[in-house]
Amino acid sequence: MADTKGINRRQTLKLGAGALGLGTIGAPYWQGTAQAQAPTLRAAITGFNVINTLDPAKASLIPEFYIIYGVFNSLLKFNAKMEIAPDLAESFSIVDPKTLEFKLRKGVKFQDGSDFSADDVKFSIERVLDEKTASPNRGKLQSITNITIVGSDTIRLETKAPFAPLLNYMTNTRTATQIVSRNALKTMGDEAFGKNPVGTGRYRIKDWKSGEMIELTGFAGAFEGAPKIMNVRCPMIAEESSGMTAILGNQVDLTSTAPFADIPTLEQKQDIRVIKQAGLNTRYIALNNKKAPFDDVHFRRAVSMAFDRNVLVKAVIFGEGIATPGILPPSMWPDNKPAVSDWVQFNPERSRAEFAKSKYKPGQEGTILIWGSNWWRRIGEIFVGQVNQVLGTKLSVQASDFNAGYARAKAGDYDAMVMGWLGFVDPDEFMGEMVGSKGFRNIHSYASEKMDALLEKGRMELDPMKRKLVYREAELLMLDDMPLLPCFTSNVHNLMRSNASGFTQLPYSNFADQFGTVQIG
Amino acid sequence: MAFAGGMIRRLTNRLGGVFVLALLGSAAVFFAMRMGAGDPAIAALGDFATPEAIAVFRTKWGLDQAVILQYWKWLLNALQGDFGASMTVAANVPIAKLIASRLPNTMFIGLYALTIAVLISLSAGTLSVLRHGKFADTVATSFAVLGISMPDFWLSYVLIYIFALGLGIFPSYGFVTPAESFSAALYSGLLPALAVAAPMAAAFTRILRTALLETLHREHVRVARSFGFREAFIFIHYVMRNALIPYVTVVGLQIRYILGGTVVVERIFGVPGIGALMVDAAFARDYPVVQACALTFPIGVLSVNFIVDLICAALNPRETT
Amino acid sequence: MRALFRNPLGLIGLFVTLFVLAAMIAGPWISPYSPTEADYMALLSPPSWGHPFGTDSFGRDVLTRILYGARVSFSVATTGICAAAFIGAVAGLVSAYFGGWWSAIIMRISDLLFSFPSFVLALFLMVLLGFGLANIATAIALIYIPIFTRLTRNMALLVKDEPWVQAAELLGQSTTSILGREILPNIAAPIFVQMALGLAFGIVIEAGLSFLGLGVQPPDPSLGTIMADGREYFQRSPWVLTLSGAAISIALLGLNLLSDGIRDVMDPKLRARL
Repeated sequence: MADTKGINRRQTLKLGAGALGLGTIGAPYWQGTAQAQAPTLRAAITGFNVINTLDPAKASLIPEFYIIYGVFNSLLKFNAKMEIAPDLAESFSIVDPKTLEFKLRKGVKFQDGSDFSADDVKFSIERVLDEKTASPNRGKLQSITNITIVGSDTIRLETKAPFAPLLNYMTNTRTATQIVSRNALKTMGDEAFGKNPVGTGRYRIKDWKSGEMIELTGFAGAFEGAPKIMNVRCPMIAEESSGMTAILGNQVDLTSTAPFADIPTLEQKQDIRVIKQAGLNTRYIALNNKKAPFDDVHFRRAVSMAFDRNVLVKAVIFGEGIATPGILPPSMWPDNKPAVSDWVQFNPERSRAEFAKSKYKPGQEGTILIWGSNWWRRIGEIFVGQVNQVLGTKLSVQASDFNAGYARAKAGDYDAMVMGWLGFVDPDEFMGEMVGSKGFRNIHSYASEKMDALLEKGRMELDPMKRKLVYREAELLMLDDMPLLPCFTSNVHNLMRSNASGFTQLPYSNFADQFGTVQIG
Repeated sequence: MAFAGGMIRRLTNRLGGVFVLALLGSAAVFFAMRMGAGDPAIAALGDFATPEAIAVFRTKWGLDQAVILQYWKWLLNALQGDFGASMTVAANVPIAKLIASRLPNTMFIGLYALTIAVLISLSAGTLSVLRHGKFADTVATSFAVLGISMPDFWLSYVLIYIFALGLGIFPSYGFVTPAESFSAALYSGLLPALAVAAPMAAAFTRILRTALLETLHREHVRVARSFGFREAFIFIHYVMRNALIPYVTVVGLQIRYILGGTVVVERIFGVPGIGALMVDAAFARDYPVVQACALTFPIGVLSVNFIVDLICAALNPRETT
Repeated sequence: MRALFRNPLGLIGLFVTLFVLAAMIAGPWISPYSPTEADYMALLSPPSWGHPFGTDSFGRDVLTRILYGARVSFSVATTGICAAAFIGAVAGLVSAYFGGWWSAIIMRISDLLFSFPSFVLALFLMVLLGFGLANIATAIALIYIPIFTRLTRNMALLVKDEPWVQAAELLGQSTTSILGREILPNIAAPIFVQMALGLAFGIVIEAGLSFLGLGVQPPDPSLGTIMADGREYFQRSPWVLTLSGAAISIALLGLNLLSDGIRDVMDPKLRARL
């Protein structure tokens, strides 16, 4: 009939328009990626999307350092075996227990073409020490009393007392000791420098879209040699799993992390390589030693024996890590042997016996603050489930976000909280900050003179082997007092497409420092 | 003449209303945020936050002053068009610039999704009415209901799984902004647009179908038929035109959803949009950014409402308020 | 009621909803598993006879969790929507009947709430108030109050000039009585339809919030937290997210079809005046 034909015509028109639209969408796909430009390394920062500043003295967030490692160098760095190696200093010597001397490389250029000199080193370190800079890392370098330039290419650092961590702190890690260009800073001012930094590294910032992406361009005159790939794009992907789908779909070549649960399936895939090793991190449950119920050492010990850390490793990080009797990661153990202490062995009977010695009874309540992504929260959930089962307590979890939780913890308004740190390179960063009475990560209100004395001894012991033994002693003391519940150390992961190579993973969560050696195809 | 005069009056009334609402909204958001727990200093400085660093941060951003004073300062600046800079989410980046770079992306995906939804719903709605009561109608209606029953983030994962990882025709992540390349934006934005479009298409189809069925049986349509006009003509000028009024209203209502409801889809597909910005800012306690976003929404939504009202008024010769 | 039976889709909706309700109520008795007890030996196992929907990342049976979780999600959404309907209806009635200042204030507040995209508003509230069920219900209520307010007001405006209302006024009936006995029952039907739609919507909001980690406190299940868990392990065990999402969709499908059926059956004229 006439009417149906008319309507059908209009409908076909509409469908046709729709099909045309879809055609234009498909067009670029069919054109193929005709990229006749230089290859670009697409290295995704996964799990984070906030970078506020790239000024090493002011940076504090992990993704900020990811990039800083590639833009700057320090006096020293870690090599593939995690040994101290020369970087901007071609050699160093311990003149006496309180003095370190570094001989600087000659002929190094900054990315703006100016020459690197000892002045820049002195300036960079003094800057971190300056209160006006308000560097989060100032505390690390406070023991430095004098920085002297000797001759034209030697720098001497003097400390109040022998300070063993200093060598580690002079490396290109989360330490703020990266060397910045004094001239550039004076010309640009702090804020501009934080957005467009000038260092000696292989890359400088080309473009930066907050929260989305950073683009790097290679510096051909770098003393380490021109990078193999000159263009790097770093998209910032907040969801770790999205980062994984991105590399699976060949949208990126490299990621900075990988979701724990998916490691086994990823390891099966042919087009992706999983790079992993034990990381320099610790995951634990912080306890408020000044508030019930964790103010009683017997209760704390009982709780520590009431949950199985191996189950945590299996169920939370799917085996991608190792249970630790203490907060030091395995690489800091003397002879790679863990501390032995009954207090961290899962033992329901002993746990109940210890519980009876405390002033609390079954039915005792307490709240564990949990936050962040799924696997952080699971630590709390599994912990609570197991402890309640063994001791008959009524512990519960309370979810919040990191900000609110940490603010509460710092104010002392909490019972227990799941915590962790990563990227530390010196045992003093772990033990000193967390169980030293003045350590600023000590949210446990734990103060022990004996512990402080041991930690001070550890700071002054320059012999690496003896030092490890001092910290072992400190760890055993800590386990007796149990101000916190150590849980495990997790692996660090990078995902890389199989056609790429040249990325050496280091356990402190490195990233951009490796871009220069990466090749695709 | 009279129409234009009425329009201008309405415009000023509306603008006044928008202004008042924006003011109220910003104040509510301002005080509410500061009452909640959390500290922007910790968000910015992370786990390395030493007490000195925190103190410096607070002074820099004026967080140690009285709250009313802070609001007053913000208001004065905002009235002059200066929305300040971000504290924690993108430190020191001027907020106006931040929003200007994010808003177009959300709008692009939103308009993209809207177009898809409108195309689908016009076809499906018309089809189901013309084949009313038959199989096609039931199928179309069922799909429509299904569309609004699925959570959009679930649909996103299903789409990624099938089209990106499974068939490999679309990217699973990464959005090329229209500023860089329009065609690449169309390509990389299709999956997120589909995820957003599905519930909208469903809602639109339903309302169109209802409205069309409604109008088909009205008096003036029967009268027009008795005049002997062609069915297609009647359909367009009498039935469709009247049915479009509630249709356009519903479309306008959905604009609110586009502006902010696409948060999760944006995160999953990595679209740098304003919804994701506000969420990140809220978590990071970035007060100025949240304020500014809080302003954007009412202004955006109310502008759209105004446009929708205009369209409806134009469609309907009889002024219905 | 009889008319409803003639509407096939509405009928399907009714049956699906009844089935879902029955499963929710009876499920916990039928299922041999606990929704919160972990089984570390059976993490993320695929669907099998013992576990029709597989297990989640704690080794808990997903189907059991969905049944319990549905209860939680439904009750949160219902609480929120009922609160919204109550407050919104009162506000709308007051605004329509009294007009003037009252109306201006009520409608301004309502517009303010309404101008924020729902999800953003919910998220914002969660960040402010803290996470948890009660706050989700509050957020849902705040999102929906403006909708009920506007709906009730528009309906009441239509009805308030009807002769029987004016008669009641002349007879000296008290205002509350007029609002409650004369006006409200005549506009109740669209409100109920909107409640059914709002319920579906509330469940999606709760799912979205829990999905982002802001919702129900662990280890209690809700539809959203199950999906969030499933999303985290999507590559490895896609069934958790897929099946829980499908479960939500089916439940909501039933609700939507049912509310459609009720609407189709009602006075068609009222629909157009919305």
